[in-house]
Amino acid sequence: MKRQLRVDWPVCKARGLCFELLPEAVSLDEWGYPIIAKEISPDLVTAAREAVRACPTLALRLVEARG
Amino acid sequence: MNSSVMVWPADPRSTGVEIRRGRSLLSGVENGPDLQSHLRHHGPLPTLGLDELVGRTRGSALLGRGGAGFPFAVKLEATTKSRGKPSVVVNLAEGEPASWKDSALSMVAPHLVLDGASITAAALGAAEVHVVLPGDRSAVRLQLKAAIDERTERFSTAVADVAFVAGQAAAVVELLSGRENRPVTSWEPAAVRGLRNKPTLLSNAETFAHVALIARGVGASTTLLTIDGDSSRPLVREVRLGKPWRKVLRRDQLDGPVLLGGYHGTWAAPGALRSLTVSRDSMGAAGLALGAGIVLTGDRCPLDRAAEIATYLASESAGRCGPCVNGLPRLAAALRDAARGLGGTTEIERLAGLVERRGACAHPDGTARMARSLVTSYAFELREHQRGRCCFALGEPRKAG
Amino acid sequence: MPDGPLLWFVNRGSGFALLAVLSLTVLLGVIARGGRAGGLVPGFVLQSLHRSTSLLGVSLLGVHVLTAVADEFVDIRWWDAVLPLGAEYEPLWLGLGALSLDLALAVVVTSLLRTRIGHETWRVVHVLAYAAWTVGVVHGLGIGTDTGEPWAAAVYLGSVVVVGTAGLIRLDALRTPTPHGPSEVRR
Repeated sequence: MKRQLRVDWPVCKARGLCFELLPEAVSLDEWGYPIIAKEISPDLVTAAREAVRACPTLALRLVEARG
Repeated sequence: MNSSVMVWPADPRSTGVEIRRGRSLLSGVENGPDLQSHLRHHGPLPTLGLDELVGRTRGSALLGRGGAGFPFAVKLEATTKSRGKPSVVVNLAEGEPASWKDSALSMVAPHLVLDGASITAAALGAAEVHVVLPGDRSAVRLQLKAAIDERTERFSTAVADVAFVAGQAAAVVELLSGRENRPVTSWEPAAVRGLRNKPTLLSNAETFAHVALIARGVGASTTLLTIDGDSSRPLVREVRLGKPWRKVLRRDQLDGPVLLGGYHGTWAAPGALRSLTVSRDSMGAAGLALGAGIVLTGDRCPLDRAAEIATYLASESAGRCGPCVNGLPRLAAALRDAARGLGGTTEIERLAGLVERRGACAHPDGTARMARSLVTSYAFELREHQRGRCCFALGEPRKAG
Repeated sequence: MPDGPLLWFVNRGSGFALLAVLSLTVLLGVIARGGRAGGLVPGFVLQSLHRSTSLLGVSLLGVHVLTAVADEFVDIRWWDAVLPLGAEYEPLWLGLGALSLDLALAVVVTSLLRTRIGHETWRVVHVLAYAAWTVGVVHGLGIGTDTGEPWAAAVYLGSVVVVGTAGLIRLDALRTPTPHGPSEVRR
């Protein structure tokens, strides 16, 4: 199953924990908001789940990739 | 003018909107918008079972007229697959200020829109039908409510905020849920889980009007266009899909800059439309989009226009998503710089890439699309501006190549 | 049952300790909340510190309650720890202590279930932490036998300063909306 990290944008407050915990798949734009890689490879899934749990506003979701 | 009717959907002091009689949706509009005239012209309200409605709308390949062009039959089927009693929502918010087609339909043929909603609701066994009206067009609200009063079915109405993004699907569901009329992240389509977590079939007003005709077996493949230049009053026309643009627009319009699809649309280079037709395929192949049928013509410099539009769009951000709140004003600034000849296109494309798909709704995507299409279609003019020359200001717009 | 005043000493000591630790927890929480990437301390570290100190504080709270109930010198039944009314011993001050515990429990339980209850519900309950702290301080001042001592006053004062600072930082943050638009970028 291909996985994706998706952001609930109105909820994201650019705290940056997802970047701290998953720099392999997340970088930050010049305003501090996450730029997420297209797909989360299987070896990154555990760290991705950690990032989802750590997000202070629960703005991150790990979902099945679509399109 | 006897092929047109004039209406004032905003208020009597506005310039008014000219509506040309058409072959389908806009046929019979000279008889008046009342229920009796409507029934006399179009015939009685048909009742269709769900399978039949799906079959007919699929057979007619009915695509949504709100801009996204989603197949109606697919949306209809999706609504039936999820648990819960579905509801139907008619989106008449028409948040884009340059768009008048849905308002025009409400003024001259409201019962077509209401028929379509009623037919769909009956086929789905829907509990409620909501009609969401524009906040800044009082005549539209009055006319549609009058039409509702003439009918026996129950329709609930709600009034959208006067905001560009208030007509977005999730924003409309928020409004109907009693919350602020602005977009939120949608993890599932409204057809699966929408209003009160139940399946919600939300479609554009014109789409429902097409359903009303398709259900009567007389649907023709037409679409409504709002054509607006800089000086004349807006014109709403019903056009057959596949009609050549050169039969729709005047020569001077075709040879000038055209923004197709409204403020979230795509810029056509001078003369580019001469060889294209009013269809998604023809235009898609040329990198252009029909959107919600808004056609903005005019002879002003497109770089100036694009910068103004982007500045407006930036101010209309709901202010909820970081990339949009931060990115759109900077994108607008980059377009203003390009119009003044101060900057190149690199910054425009960088910012467009930074805001796309990074918001709860398609507002940043649409703004980016408009900006990117300017860079594609007006690359020559952008370079000229950097050299301190504006073809349009000099009165020497580029000839169609 | 341990006799003598040992339970009483541990009860008093744990009370002051938990006040200091949970005051620090509040400050860490507020500092964590205002953070953005690129700050001095990474967000996940501040988050972890906040959680760790709260865990320590809640553990001390457990000791504080257990020693109060176990101590036979005063008649505190185990349900007096959670029911704000009906205690025999010092019903007002003990009742406030029970209220403070209830509020703290709500905060802790919702935090443990954060991902299940959603951010908004979690946030609304989490604000009760300030109430839990305040009621706890009043409980200590009222019921505590050390209240007059200079060292006790120092701990109370220090805690008020720490949480007061946290409160001011938090109120100041309320004035700035997020997301910050381009004219309000804070870096």
